[in-house]
Amino acid sequence: MADNSSGRKTYIRLLFGLAALVLWGQAMRLQLLDPSYGKRAEATTIEQITLYPARGNVLDRHGNLLVYNQRMYDLLAVYNRIDPEMDTARFCRFLGISRQTFEENLKKDWTEPRFSKSVPFVFLSKIPDSIYTRFSEVQYQFPGFYAQLRHVRGYPHPHGAHVLGAIREVNQQEIDSFPEYSLGDYIGDGGLEQAYEEHLRGRKGVRFVLKDNLGRETGEFKERKKQHPELGSRLQTSLSLELQAYAESLMQNKIGSIVAIEPATGEVLAMASAPDYDPNELAISRNRAEAYRRLQSDPGKPFFDRSVMAQYPPGSLFKPLLALIGLQLEAFSPEMGVSCSQGYVYNGQLLTGCHAHPYCGNVVTAIQHSCNAYFVTVFRRIVDRHGFRNPAQGLDELYTYLDKFGLNRRLSRDFPSEESGYVPSSSFFDRWYKDERWNSIWIRSLGIGQGELLMTNLQMANAAAMIANRGYYYRPHLVTQLNQSKWFDEEPVEVGIDSVHFEFVIEGMERAVWGGTARMAFVPDIRVCGKTGTAENPHGKDHSIFFGFAPRENPKIAVAVYVENAGFGGTFAAPIASLVMEKWIRLSWKDLGVVPPEQHLDGDIHPSRKWIEKRMREANLLDLP
Amino acid sequence: MRKRTSSGLEKTDRLTFSIYLALVAIGWTMVLSVGYEPDIWQRFFSAPIGKQTIWIGISLATFFAVFGIQSRFWMRAAYPIYGLAVSLLIAVLLVGTTIKGSKSWFVLGGVSFQPSELAKFGTALAMAAYLSRFKTKVSVPGDALLALAILGIPMLLILLQPDAGSALVFLAFLLVLYRSGLNPAWYAFGFFTLGALLAGLIWENTPLIASVLLFAGILLLAYQQARRRQALWATGIMGAGGAAIYWVAPQYLNEILLATGVLFGLLALLMYRQNKLRLGLLVALVAGWGIGVAALSQYLFNQALKPHQQDRINVWLHPERCSEQGSLYNLLQSQTAIGSGGLTGKGIFEGTMTKLKHVPEQSTDFIFCTVGEEHGFIGSTIVICLYLLLLIRITILAERQRAAFSRYYAYGIAGILFIHFFINIGMTMGLVPIIGIPLPFLSKGGSSLLGFTIMLAVLLKLDSKRLQLA
Repeated sequence: MADNSSGRKTYIRLLFGLAALVLWGQAMRLQLLDPSYGKRAEATTIEQITLYPARGNVLDRHGNLLVYNQRMYDLLAVYNRIDPEMDTARFCRFLGISRQTFEENLKKDWTEPRFSKSVPFVFLSKIPDSIYTRFSEVQYQFPGFYAQLRHVRGYPHPHGAHVLGAIREVNQQEIDSFPEYSLGDYIGDGGLEQAYEEHLRGRKGVRFVLKDNLGRETGEFKERKKQHPELGSRLQTSLSLELQAYAESLMQNKIGSIVAIEPATGEVLAMASAPDYDPNELAISRNRAEAYRRLQSDPGKPFFDRSVMAQYPPGSLFKPLLALIGLQLEAFSPEMGVSCSQGYVYNGQLLTGCHAHPYCGNVVTAIQHSCNAYFVTVFRRIVDRHGFRNPAQGLDELYTYLDKFGLNRRLSRDFPSEESGYVPSSSFFDRWYKDERWNSIWIRSLGIGQGELLMTNLQMANAAAMIANRGYYYRPHLVTQLNQSKWFDEEPVEVGIDSVHFEFVIEGMERAVWGGTARMAFVPDIRVCGKTGTAENPHGKDHSIFFGFAPRENPKIAVAVYVENAGFGGTFAAPIASLVMEKWIRLSWKDLGVVPPEQHLDGDIHPSRKWIEKRMREANLLDLP
Repeated sequence: MRKRTSSGLEKTDRLTFSIYLALVAIGWTMVLSVGYEPDIWQRFFSAPIGKQTIWIGISLATFFAVFGIQSRFWMRAAYPIYGLAVSLLIAVLLVGTTIKGSKSWFVLGGVSFQPSELAKFGTALAMAAYLSRFKTKVSVPGDALLALAILGIPMLLILLQPDAGSALVFLAFLLVLYRSGLNPAWYAFGFFTLGALLAGLIWENTPLIASVLLFAGILLLAYQQARRRQALWATGIMGAGGAAIYWVAPQYLNEILLATGVLFGLLALLMYRQNKLRLGLLVALVAGWGIGVAALSQYLFNQALKPHQQDRINVWLHPERCSEQGSLYNLLQSQTAIGSGGLTGKGIFEGTMTKLKHVPEQSTDFIFCTVGEEHGFIGSTIVICLYLLLLIRITILAERQRAAFSRYYAYGIAGILFIHFFINIGMTMGLVPIIGIPLPFLSKGGSSLLGFTIMLAVLLKLDSKRLQLA
């Protein structure tokens, strides 16, 4: 046939050229103009594998381990890699899970973008080392399953749960707010774990591996170096494991707390809050959520750390503090006598009651017998120093000193849940009484530690340490060393009371033990100084309170004890505190070897006081109304 | 007056043969790179690259063997080969082996063979033989229909397997028909229909497409008016107004469509008054056909296509509806691999995407990903240019043939190569739907390489004897 269409060859070539141009243009768009493809190529083939660090260990003052790390494993699975013919029964037996759990854990919603059959997901988390060791021997029979090492917390002793805190998985809010956390990380929750989170957690490492489309590792990515995880800092605390355990044993079946401080350093020796729990209960495990729920709903509120979170009226413990301020301000003379006929009488009216006690002819006997009339008088002298019509100025002077004593403030960063307590200032009463002009009579119960003034038990122990030091304190703290280098490095806080004034108060506190309100706190061989308190409790039985220190010269320990609903301060708080002090001093005597064995008694309680120790341990105050 | 010469190798078109060798070499390198591991040389012949090397050897041997066959043999054998291919296509439907859902393979003693490969070659021969017959005139509807049947029969049989990708390749022969003189209006009509179908699938908005088509019709009719300038201006302003209304308030689309329709009707009436009714009717018919196709596209999409086919169309036209982990995965991986190559690529054996099996079928259908990833834009450009050069060169060879058979055969081969080239590279970059056909000479796979080699060898043999054939 004739060829009439040879002109069409041009159009055919044009078509070829145009098509090639279109392909070339698209190649240019993908390879040169749009940079996102290169980035995505990296994301889908180079996988970052997080290497989790172990948290720092926590030690007591003698190097005993309080918190250590346990190896635990998360078992990851890649669905597409699992052998459908695998021996499921054997697999479950080795992991100690039921067939049902196996199936439930494998069933994911694959339509959801966060799951992929080719991408590892956590099949079973928190497998204890013991179980994993067994499983690891047969793991090769189950392709598609990979283990990831995690470090979780373990506690060799069931003590110090409140002080130590716990770890838990980060929540979404924390992931959003802090870039260093990602899903599945652990974070400190409460206590030292929370306060020292950034030191304890260490640094995560990372490893870059090349992955094929089934998520199989095909090798190390050499251009990005592996970063090894960094172990968290080791925390050396001032706690004494032995004293802590002893304090906790005394508080069993009671509600309240014990705080013991070494006055010369501000180091916390023991800190017990009751009711408490075994820290191992909150360790990361498959049972944690259940344990947490149970403790959370316990009516005794074991999560409530009564050493630093409870805010109590100090009761008569306030009297030595008031005496010190009054003496420093020269609001009264130490030789002042106040007659007390069953209480404080004003204009013929009995305003504040008092118990029967001998006449208090000076401040020493007033403290010894804890006379209410005496200290209402001292309080009014202080508040009315600038005139009866001008109580605000006097009260605020008092406030200034209390502030220096460490009241109305949080004392330390080592207790993340610490509360500040409360000291009312003049503006508080201005608001309280609105337009009325208030005076020292109206607010007199502050003088005996009742009313609006609230302290934490830590603040009470700190006040005892301040008295023991005759005028200064080191901020109470738990952590002494981080990774073996000195951590607490603060100057003492001077409270602005001349040391001469302390001798009256301390004499009164020692006499209270010798023959006053705190006779149960008497310890042979040790000069204990202390003060009882009884806080009125409108809801039930009064709270039993005591603070003190020992020995009188070169004090080794200051203690505050608060036992809720236990009645008079002398019956529970004073003997418990004296036992803690005696225990600590005899233990240190034994360690130092400077006293004969008949005095240090191998760190045991004096035989004449064994019955007290027994009674305190066995007393069960929880059944009381 | 045939001379007893050697096989004619010395008269081979050297450029074509060089391009062929270059593409085969690039393919070999890419297949090696995909499976590359440092110890590959020790177990060379058990690795894919070893098999590919053997196939290249077989293909080259075949190339020379084909040169040993007299060129006139292909003219005589055209119909028998075509007949054999068609019978095999029928046989494979009855006794073939199903691989990946398509009953398109014969498997005999470990060797697998796809009759559709033979059918491409056979159809190219038969089409050339038919069109080069002295009495064939494609301008005659009967002859045109018969030519269409030659490509339609194997296409239909392959669609039954079903293997839509291979069936699509037979549209390559429309290029031969075009060159042989088929009325270009049919091609225009075909492209218009395809455009309307795609528009329907992309916008899924029949009133909008109808408005646009009617407006195009109005422009065409306005162009026919005596006062052309004014008419065009007026319609242009109205069109801009309509577009502006749609831009601001798309809810008035139906009103816009109504106005456009009324205007179109008025113009058509005017044409009637001007005695240009035929043109008016034609424009109305074409516009109506387009609107109908667009309106039907969704229905066809939902009723005629299987879910996995719908997925492919969606990946192509509506990637935003697809899950990155699901149906979009292959395309995304492929585009990512190519895109990550940048200008110069990651270097040979250094591609992470392709080496790590992120790309599906990475050494067969998606071999171009390896080119793009490891050799970057420069590598892509070189490969695209080589194909373009090959295609243009084949058209030059075609045009210099004295024998119509050789010319049409050459165009047939050009068309087949072109469809493979455009669809394969286009699909790896998301320009066309993902259709599983190999990239000629580059993709791993013996039967594909052997098939294309034979097609090209016959072409070069015919070309080397162009002066003796008429």
